[in-house]
Amino acid sequence: MKQHLGRQSGVQNVDVSLRDGKVEVTPKEDEQIDPAQLLKATYDSGVTVAELDMTARGKIVKDASGELALQAAPDRAYALVPNELSKSLQSLAGSPAEVTLRGQLYKKSGKKKPSPSTPLKLVVLEVEKE
Amino acid sequence: MRKQTFALVLLLGCVFAAPVAAQIKHIEMRVEGMT
Repeated sequence: MKQHLGRQSGVQNVDVSLRDGKVEVTPKEDEQIDPAQLLKATYDSGVTVAELDMTARGKIVKDASGELALQAAPDRAYALVPNELSKSLQSLAGSPAEVTLRGQLYKKSGKKKPSPSTPLKLVVLEVEKE
Repeated sequence: MRKQTFALVLLLGCVFAAPVAAQIKHIEMRVEGMT
């Protein structure tokens, strides 16, 4: 699995902890990494992903449906699941200010595999102060 | 006029050459069934 994930685009390093069942992926500097692609690659390597958390920096924007989203790449935005923390980011929508967020992008539900057509939404767990 | 054009080209060059600040810094997964 480590080798399989290491071959994915934008991946700098993969750390696997067999004891905790934890996989940490460090992206390359100034390169874009696709969490959905990593999720698929992990499933393809024969294991089940229970949760995927990410830390990302970007601007807060409003997407086409008016939902708040984190623009983590020029062509990629992750809609924020409404909660207290996402509400606190409302005032930043459309401003040039950038924030660093840590949040849960995927959580397994039942025995279903994640569908590539379902967009990943970010549950904000922490807003990192600058 | 030439100086203005040069300044504009230089400015655009700097904007496009700037590193992408927005990005994913770290990903952590909890997996099951790993041996």
